[in-house]
Amino acid sequence: MPKEGFHGPLERIDECSWRIPSRYKPGMRVEGRIFADDRLVAQVRSDQSPEQVANVAFLPGIQMASLAMPDIHWGYGFCIGGVCATDPAEGGVVSPGGVGYDINCGVRLIRTNLDQKDVGPRIKELTEALFRRIPAGVGTGGPYLYGGKELKRLLAEGVGFLRSLGLATESDIEHTEAGGCLPDAQPDLVSQRALQRGSDQCGTLGSGNHFLEVQVVDEVCDEQAARVMGLRQGGICVMIHSGSRGLGYQVCDDALRELRNVPAKYGIQLPDRQLACAPVDSPEGQEYLGAMRAAANYAWANRQLLMWQTREVFAEFFGASWESLQMSLVYDVAHNIAKIEEHVIDGVRKTVCVHRKGATRAFPAGHPEVPERYRRIGQPVIIPGDMGRASWVLVGQPGSMERSFGTTCHGAGRVMSRTAAIADAKGRRIDRELAEQGIIARARSWKGLAEEQPAAYKDVSMVVDVVHRAGLASKVARLRPLGVIKG
Amino acid sequence: MPRLNETHLLPTAHCLLPTAPVYETFEHTADIGIRARAGTLNELFADAARGLFSVIVGNPESIRPVQDFSFRVQGDRHDELLLDWLDELLYAFAARRLVFCDFDVRVEAGGLNATAQGEPIDPQRHHLDVEVKAITYHRLKVQQEGDGWLAEVIVDV
Repeated sequence: MPKEGFHGPLERIDECSWRIPSRYKPGMRVEGRIFADDRLVAQVRSDQSPEQVANVAFLPGIQMASLAMPDIHWGYGFCIGGVCATDPAEGGVVSPGGVGYDINCGVRLIRTNLDQKDVGPRIKELTEALFRRIPAGVGTGGPYLYGGKELKRLLAEGVGFLRSLGLATESDIEHTEAGGCLPDAQPDLVSQRALQRGSDQCGTLGSGNHFLEVQVVDEVCDEQAARVMGLRQGGICVMIHSGSRGLGYQVCDDALRELRNVPAKYGIQLPDRQLACAPVDSPEGQEYLGAMRAAANYAWANRQLLMWQTREVFAEFFGASWESLQMSLVYDVAHNIAKIEEHVIDGVRKTVCVHRKGATRAFPAGHPEVPERYRRIGQPVIIPGDMGRASWVLVGQPGSMERSFGTTCHGAGRVMSRTAAIADAKGRRIDRELAEQGIIARARSWKGLAEEQPAAYKDVSMVVDVVHRAGLASKVARLRPLGVIKG
Repeated sequence: MPRLNETHLLPTAHCLLPTAPVYETFEHTADIGIRARAGTLNELFADAARGLFSVIVGNPESIRPVQDFSFRVQGDRHDELLLDWLDELLYAFAARRLVFCDFDVRVEAGGLNATAQGEPIDPQRHHLDVEVKAITYHRLKVQQEGDGWLAEVIVDV
């Protein structure tokens, strides 16, 4: 099946952004805007994702523009990298496709006081220790089992519940987006099926593009911000990328089933049924938001438990408590989520429903939701790259509030299908190629490693470059992987 | 009957027997598509199910028909019925830890009844390579084609 590209209009706005005019498709309420530069725009045109940006512009109550970040690629309904805000006061809708199946897929970064010289010679053993301990792989359950009332509490309270069990510190909570808990979660709206799938998966990595990496800071771009975050050249960090596991996928699946005939009920015409939605201020809209928030809280608890297990592995490996290794959480961000936030739009302060699908919040310095420690520098943004290349830490800039509802990119974005990546990798030992670059990779399946090979992704540094130049978020430090574990 | 994995090319045998049941997978940027062609709607739904398990399990021939499991799915539209049927199977895999190799599907007015043959997951024998997150609505289709039926569905991995 040949990949069909986008042949519609892309008009240059400036060196980092392009417009799809609202006249492109009758029904577009606002224009589309894609953040990309000349180097990336050819990739932007290579699939139907700009068409999806245009389709999102049909949503009732949409404000300003239908947006996409430079890691844009094709998704379900919304593209990956898609961002929009709808105003409930104008009949604005919420759409599960604008969040994704993996609700609150996100990433956290943990710093340590270890240096490359401490870890480098033993990276193979450390990676293997993590591989043995961290539950990963398709459908794999883990040692933390929550059912019944406990699971409902976890869904309601997120990381706060784990703190009551001694599995999270106050500092962990403070350095997690939303304090690791979205208020107004409705665990009772989460189906039995979702609860069943979630009962043994909290604290498990999953598979696909989820990973846990031991990394070294190999370039500092903003000395002051890096210092505030506890990052230094040569410093060892751990990055964890995972989401809400089977519970979240089921919540999204359930919602899409519930919403099948709902747009028609509210007279909403959609160019793609995968944009199924309901007005935020409708019973159906509130039900989805309630269940989504519960799933989001599960994901934060998931990443907290993954971090907790990582701390235990490091403590055992280095013979020192994780506290003495200063393994503190730099920050945790969601990149598949819908949140109710205040934004100034055309000079008017409005409360809107912001959808971030494969996009990360990037609030600037001074914003009250930025933890106190970071309020002078802005919110840390963690951008996972692909296995063979760099990950980045950025910090939110005021430009994000003006241009993108406080949002920036989330990662590299795929360019090669999984089938193509696997075919391309046939006969190759991806783990050996990575080892030649000094990266130890351990995965539960060869296919999992093959489909995630570096060539399958855009170069994250090019993506980060665009958001930096567009004023959405600025570079703080680049991180290089030393050891990777995957499901 | 020939079964295909990972390629969109059809073998000559398929061309000679246009109504023979068969499934294949096809590529779709980040995810995987399943395409099935069959002479009857019942066979179509069975083949799509085999296609799903060829994605979930890297070596589907290792799945043994040890036990029978019953399924009942309601729905009027064939495309949504297909999605809901595959969804039931995905849930059985994810939550009940089962894999299936054979399917006897009876599509009727208002839904379908099915019996699936399979066994509990054995990580030693079954290669679980790909995490199928969900069955999606993208380009979902169940339609008549010539003397038979065609189904396409894309799964999020």
